[in-house]
Amino acid sequence: MNPVLLHGNLQAYILVALLLFVIGLATVLLRRSLLMQFMGVELMLNAANVALLAFARFRGGEAQATAFYLFIIAVAACEAAVGLAIVVALYRHRKTTDSDRADTLRQ
Amino acid sequence: MFLIFALITLVGALMTFSMRNLVMAGLSLVLCFIGVAGLFLLLANPVAAALQMVVYSGAIVVLVLFVIMLLASHEEEEPKRSRPIQRWGSVAAIIALGPGAVLLVKSSPFLASSQVAPPMEVMTLHRLGGLLFKEHLVAFEIAGLLLLAAMIAAVSLVKREL
Repeated sequence: MNPVLLHGNLQAYILVALLLFVIGLATVLLRRSLLMQFMGVELMLNAANVALLAFARFRGGEAQATAFYLFIIAVAACEAAVGLAIVVALYRHRKTTDSDRADTLRQ
Repeated sequence: MFLIFALITLVGALMTFSMRNLVMAGLSLVLCFIGVAGLFLLLANPVAAALQMVVYSGAIVVLVLFVIMLLASHEEEEPKRSRPIQRWGSVAAIIALGPGAVLLVKSSPFLASSQVAPPMEVMTLHRLGGLLFKEHLVAFEIAGLLLLAAMIAAVSLVKREL
């Protein structure tokens, strides 16, 4: 079997990260539910993580990248908590999770 | 192995994108994150794989699923009015961006030249812990503070009157 398909090289990892990012972007842009858009943001964050750790691995397994990965997921967890709280607050206020229906600040 | 995990990741992401039911989309997101954790294992980084499983497929997706079930909005609502310019603009942007970026990666000489992987050095918790408490101590403490602030913010946003 082709060794690239078995273990992957840097190019293959970056390609996977890129496709993951584009799918996440499509989810954010084309779906209307705020919860779907939130999942798209998570997909894009993960694409960045895959690229970061792939570059670290092909530079000889640097430990710094994993430390930065830890900080990234700490920030992602904060973003998840606050983002979902905003969605819940919006639903209380407007009875909708559709981003197109919440396009004005006024009631 | 790489092909299997890459396929799991991308199929999970595509299912998340295309599912009508929000709960099913959340479950496909778990599939995608498991694939990403497998990719991290192949990158000789079991620490990141474990963190990915615990934080993403454990905490974050469970939080999203709880909110979906709490709000009883399992399906996307019908559009109030169609917005053709935004919709087709987004489709055009994605179609231009996706293949364009793929071509760019394919033609990059740097990415193609670093094909031979250097000698393997597996990431361990021991190394990560030493690094965190020696070089990144301040950032580590600030991350803890940030998590506390996010927790308070989430509670105060959702609670009706404090």
